[in-house]
Amino acid sequence: MMKSTAKELRTAANWPPEEGQVVSLKSSIASETAILKEVRWGLVWRDFILEDGRVIPEHRIAGCPQPQAWRKVSEVTDQEREECEERLLSMAGAGMDPRKRDQSFWAELNQYLAYTYLRFKPTRAKVQDTER
Amino acid sequence: MSRSDDEPDELHAWRVLSDAGLVEIGPDEFAERIKDVKRIVTVRLRELLDFNTGVQERESAAYSLGTLKGLELKVLASAPKPPDSSKV
Repeated sequence: MMKSTAKELRTAANWPPEEGQVVSLKSSIASETAILKEVRWGLVWRDFILEDGRVIPEHRIAGCPQPQAWRKVSEVTDQEREECEERLLSMAGAGMDPRKRDQSFWAELNQYLAYTYLRFKPTRAKVQDTER
Repeated sequence: MSRSDDEPDELHAWRVLSDAGLVEIGPDEFAERIKDVKRIVTVRLRELLDFNTGVQERESAAYSLGTLKGLELKVLASAPKPPDSSKV
């Protein structure tokens, strides 16, 4: 049963898997299977939230189509970014530790740094915009 | 870093973030990565100020810089202390 589920998930047509399905993943410790609770878009990529509360980036889920779907920086609204910044500061203020891998603070801070880097990194397009 | 025109956006972004060490940040790398991103935002903010342009982006960059600073302080404050060599 588990084998056929895992095989089914390897097709892009069935991606992403649905809530309650068993997914295979590479955790920070080993390869394993777990029950998917939710798939949620972050600022850049999708995170897979498992029933045990761990947050796994999509690229670590077995069968993830390549190239995986990522959001463009321009798709993120100001409100979404501001809410993310508030959540991060609130988690930091509550004493949560971002070093706890696969936990929500680690996952959200990782995506925020990736998004902010992509957003402000100099690009040819931006240089041209500035020159106009 | 060069980019071929036929490279999909996702692959390009993946490569850029991988090179910057920002795809999966190791537990002990957060302080350094936050510093790297702060540097990028600071450069961009300086450009925007120099050209006196992009008011909205300027405000947003300044806000992001404040957020990064706040996060950096918290991460540094919660960093595990190195072993006290005087006790060895």
